[in-house]
Amino acid sequence: MKRGAHGVNGSRVAASKGVAFSTSPVLAVGLPNWRSRLVLFALFAAFVALAARALWLQGMSTQFLQQQGKSRYERTLELPATRGKITDRNGQVLASSLPVKAVWAIPEDVLKAPPEKLAELARLLDMPEADVRKKLDSDRTFVYLKRQVEMDVIARIEKLDIGGLGTRKEYKRFYPQGEVMTHLVGFTNVEDVGQESMELAQQITLMGVPGSRRVIKDRLGRIVEDLGMFREPHDGKDLVLSVDSKLQYIAFTSIKNAVEKYNAKAGAAVVLDVRTGEVLALANWPSYNPNDRSRLTGEQLRNRVITDTFEPGSTLKPFTVALALETRRVTPDTVFDVSPGYIVVGGHRIRDSHVHGQLTVSGIIQKSSNVGAVKISQMIPAQEMWELYTKSGFGQAPRVGFPGAVAGRVRPYKSWRPVEYANMSFGHGLSVSLLQLARSYMIFARGGDIIPLSFAKVNEEPAGQQVISPRTAAQIRTMLESVVSPQGTASKAQVAGYRVGGKTGTAQKIIDGRYSQSNYVGSFVGIAPLSKPRFIIAVMVDDPKGAVHTGGGVAAPTFAALAASALRADNIPPDSPVTDIIIPENPLEESM
Amino acid sequence: MSGKLNIVLAALLVGCALSVVNGRYQARHLVIESERLQQQVRQLDIDWAQLQLDQSKLGKGERIEQIAGADLNMTPLTTARTQYLMEGAP
Repeated sequence: MKRGAHGVNGSRVAASKGVAFSTSPVLAVGLPNWRSRLVLFALFAAFVALAARALWLQGMSTQFLQQQGKSRYERTLELPATRGKITDRNGQVLASSLPVKAVWAIPEDVLKAPPEKLAELARLLDMPEADVRKKLDSDRTFVYLKRQVEMDVIARIEKLDIGGLGTRKEYKRFYPQGEVMTHLVGFTNVEDVGQESMELAQQITLMGVPGSRRVIKDRLGRIVEDLGMFREPHDGKDLVLSVDSKLQYIAFTSIKNAVEKYNAKAGAAVVLDVRTGEVLALANWPSYNPNDRSRLTGEQLRNRVITDTFEPGSTLKPFTVALALETRRVTPDTVFDVSPGYIVVGGHRIRDSHVHGQLTVSGIIQKSSNVGAVKISQMIPAQEMWELYTKSGFGQAPRVGFPGAVAGRVRPYKSWRPVEYANMSFGHGLSVSLLQLARSYMIFARGGDIIPLSFAKVNEEPAGQQVISPRTAAQIRTMLESVVSPQGTASKAQVAGYRVGGKTGTAQKIIDGRYSQSNYVGSFVGIAPLSKPRFIIAVMVDDPKGAVHTGGGVAAPTFAALAASALRADNIPPDSPVTDIIIPENPLEESM
Repeated sequence: MSGKLNIVLAALLVGCALSVVNGRYQARHLVIESERLQQQVRQLDIDWAQLQLDQSKLGKGERIEQIAGADLNMTPLTTARTQYLMEGAP
């Protein structure tokens, strides 16, 4: 079609004139070319932006986005770990943790609950309602109402359906043996952290480390997929102690009875296994119930066997004699003149409570003569004596892994004045703990060697360190047996049916830096049975206020009661035909 | 020919997809079951600990002595009234 035709027809409709719409000159507005290009470019740019965004999301920030996604459907579960159990050597449980719950509250919400419900809550928590209200009367948004509530109570509290009240899982430690075992086992605080004794000493191994894992839960709260461990939980290791529950109970009742009978301030006893060095029993009175520590005093907490030292008194005489025998300076039958019942050393007078004329070395031990002990010690250089004390464990804290084990006090021999050395020969002027004293008697009970002590069960016999010869040890055992005879100072320590031996000790307590004339510590260390030593039993009675206050009067009978029950409980056959015990009317008392 | 192959492959694909769904379903059920059993293990552990505690509490020397002495009229054994049988003795 040509433009010429257009004008010829003269029709009113452009089309009819044969002009196509697209070529209509009216429309032929001269738009600049760049405009369409701009639109095209804008569209292209938009697509590029989309692609870049997609690339950014897919490529660069995938991890972040996946994390965000996971956090919307994954759950992290806490995996609790329990603290290890403590058992005795026979597997009887001494301490065990059980799950309980802590009750917490959002005060504002809980106070909206009806008062009768709050009263019921207080009753279930075993608290006065006023106390509950006092705790709720706080600006904080979170308060603990009570911790370590047992599960059956929790179930009843949940039934009350009080808004703003919640629970949190935790553990509570239970001590079934109570006051009998507490000085050995100790206790933990509300956070399940050891505070005393073995619970404290073995905190690291007993402690459990909680873990966590990630899971997917469904609508009903069931776990439908395990996404693996986040942190592995580790339960605490169980701890098997060397203690024997039966012997511990015997020791505990014996010492408790002794403290009551002799009107003493306190008492302690320890039983050692001669063959393995294990601590089979360790008892203290006064004691406390670890399950209820609301009224706890320092007196009750004190572990007198391990953390208290005292001047041992005559229980150290066998060491003086053993050294003299070992170095062949004397024989058991060497005679000493101990009259007139006193000896003057460096201007100080040391006396015996009874005047004996002539005594053999055995007799000096049997009658517990101070003068005799001093005379023997004068034959021995101080250095040798100091070496024996050190080898026997005095002056060093026993390495038993028990918190608060004390070293006692033995001064270096170079600073000993003659009178001090004389005093030491019968156990004054140095201090030891009951545990050290019991352990030192290992050298007599065994063949002259000493082994380390253990509070954990021992499976093989430890190697000993020789201190004196087996011959000397046997000679001392014979002397110790003579002490526990009607003629000795510990006639009350006799045990029907068994041969036992031991040594009494009575020391004046030091009060305000001076020896007291009315406060004593009576002690006894014994070995039973003598034909084949099995136990070393040490007993200490602190400040007996009755008519009798000597080691032979208060500690020896306690030893006898303890040893008789312990030997029977351990199924040890009797080694002596004597079943009638003769206790003289006025038993010999030792010198102080 | 190619049309038939497509149909077979499509059917196979659907079959596989359904078996994945089924497998997933089974797996979740097994997980739920295993969780339940693990919960039971934990509960049994707690019960065991509780029973051990009870045993220790009931086996306490003090309680036994009290029951033996007061309720059963028993007295402590002494060496004097015990007949010992020694191994190897005539």
